[in-house]
Amino acid sequence: MSNKTILHIEDNEFNRKIVRDLLSRASYRLIEAIDGELGVVMAIQQLPDLILMDLQMPKMSGLEATRQLRANPKTANIPIIAVTSFALSGDDQKALEAGANAYLAKPYSPRELLGLIRKYLPES
Amino acid sequence: MIRNLPSESNLCYQDPGPFPSTLRKLDKMPDKDHGGLEGASWGTVSLTRRPEKGLVAFLRNRAPLRLLILWVAGIRASVHTKLLCAFLLVSLLIVVTGAMSLQAMRTMTHQAQLLDQAQERESRARQIQQSFTQQMNFTALALIIKDEATVQKILRENNRFNRQLAMLEEDIVSKPSVARELIQLIRTHQEEVMTIMADIADHIRDGKFDEARRLQLTKVYPLFEQIEGLVAQVLNAEEKEKERLRQSVTESNRRTLVFMSIIAAVAFLLALVLGFVISWSFILPVREAEIFLGHVAEGRFDRSIQVPNRDEFGALAHRMNLMSKELDRLNKEQRESAQALQRINEKLQAASKAKSEFLANMSHELRTPLNAILGFIELMLDEIYGEVPLYLKEPLSDVQNNGRHLLRLINDVLDVAKIEAGRMELRLEKYLVDDIISSARASLQSLAEQKGLGFVAGAENGIPPAFGDGGRITQCLINIAGNALKFTETGRVEISVGLKDEMLTYKVKDTGIGIPQDKIEKVFDEFHQGDATITRDFGGTGLGLSITKKFVEMHGGRIWVESEQGKGSSFYFSIPLIAGHKGKV
Repeated sequence: MSNKTILHIEDNEFNRKIVRDLLSRASYRLIEAIDGELGVVMAIQQLPDLILMDLQMPKMSGLEATRQLRANPKTANIPIIAVTSFALSGDDQKALEAGANAYLAKPYSPRELLGLIRKYLPES
Repeated sequence: MIRNLPSESNLCYQDPGPFPSTLRKLDKMPDKDHGGLEGASWGTVSLTRRPEKGLVAFLRNRAPLRLLILWVAGIRASVHTKLLCAFLLVSLLIVVTGAMSLQAMRTMTHQAQLLDQAQERESRARQIQQSFTQQMNFTALALIIKDEATVQKILRENNRFNRQLAMLEEDIVSKPSVARELIQLIRTHQEEVMTIMADIADHIRDGKFDEARRLQLTKVYPLFEQIEGLVAQVLNAEEKEKERLRQSVTESNRRTLVFMSIIAAVAFLLALVLGFVISWSFILPVREAEIFLGHVAEGRFDRSIQVPNRDEFGALAHRMNLMSKELDRLNKEQRESAQALQRINEKLQAASKAKSEFLANMSHELRTPLNAILGFIELMLDEIYGEVPLYLKEPLSDVQNNGRHLLRLINDVLDVAKIEAGRMELRLEKYLVDDIISSARASLQSLAEQKGLGFVAGAENGIPPAFGDGGRITQCLINIAGNALKFTETGRVEISVGLKDEMLTYKVKDTGIGIPQDKIEKVFDEFHQGDATITRDFGGTGLGLSITKKFVEMHGGRIWVESEQGKGSSFYFSIPLIAGHKGKV
């Protein structure tokens, strides 16, 4: 299993399923977290190669989770792609300020997302 | 001063209380406070004078003058009457001074007369003395010469002596004199002498010279000596009297001078005090009014003015207090209204915020399922789930297109809601016009291809990096160009951008159905399309152009259209190359 690991942090089941289905044909290993708190714990435990972070989540927002991951030396350098709910609301800017490497506005095209993932994490 | 007075009623012109109480109240105040009524205690007033120094302030604030000023101010009479009284009083002082001078002059004249009389009496006494000596000489001569002429001369001198003595006596009788008794004595002796002299004269005429000489030696000489002594005494007395009178005149002159000086000084001082007091009794209320009006001008209507005057100034102060009260009342009313408005405004703001939050939440809630729908359809069409039968491809595409349309509708409605709430803000940053052209081209290329329309998009060469909200400008261009493609069935749509005078002008030219002249002004209104049926036929919310117009205006630009029905339309919008920081609608 030399496949690279992607951690998807997203509270909505269907959005998780889309990514799961999208990546089913690609050679990545996908792990999932259903809120920000769990996401941070899993990221520190499993040290994924890339994180997909939804910004609006219960318990802990994606912005806060991003900040915490960036503050932890173990996870500070893992690429984070933020998924914002609305590109023009200012969330994208906030995501970059919190430490995300890139952002993608909902509703996104799965094809576009795959392109972005491949850009930051080429398939092995 | 104002603050220390508990009641205004007994200080006002209309309702004056007993004046002494006013005076007492005013008097109780510490000097400093009173003195600083234009100064120290009003430190915050902008028109404040510094605490007064100098002689005038010193005099004005010391007990007798201050009380006098307050008393004059409190006299219930008009300013006119007060001034008239003051002038009359000063005039009276002048008249009194004049009368005193006249009296002094009269006294001095009388003294001079007395002196003259004394002088005259002395002169007569000397003449008597001379006449007496002549009488003696002629008697001696008659005894030697023994002729009738000389005898006559004796008698003549004798008469002259008598006359002068009578005149002197008359003077002395009419005026009090120490010499009166002496004169009586002289007259007695003189009468005796005259009798003897008559005998001597008879003896000389009869040739009885020895008898005459005997009489001369034994009777006349002793009498002469006595008379001489008496006359000398009279002279002496008159000289003393004259000296006494002279001294009296000198003394009187000195006294008059001193007295007149005092009268003049007192009159001068009185006039000065009167002027000082009356002028300050008018200046004080004026100063109070100045301070009071200063407060009013600064919007402090809760102050009142207190003056001790019961004249026109008092009436004025009373009016000012009424005015102040009314202003204060109006001010409070206005403030209450403002507070009420403020509360309403806060409620409205809270409501507006709630609405915005609701919309933001709705945005998220609507997008999340839509994201799933669009995502799954794309995965299906990409055959992630396996091959899609041909007959399913079209309906799946329809679902995808409608989903995308729904997304645009949601975005537009949210934009309008934000603009209406005044919460739409531009994110001004550097952008490239070429990027905007590329984005528009990328978004609309497929639609143009689907409809078989010519589609060209390009910008003039050499446009420098611009400053503004690139995302919103892109949205505007896509809105307009999307409309153009939508309403054009054959032909082409061209996008071009030019820079002139620091203004970027975007032009979207189509060969579509055009806009009727009577509708052309309304195309930028919300929910408005050329024809109500167009919405049904062509889709769209009718919000795109209205939102576009708002964004263009927020950039400090303008939007307009040129159109000919059946031939096509040209939409333009121009925005500054460097957009200002207007930020909000």
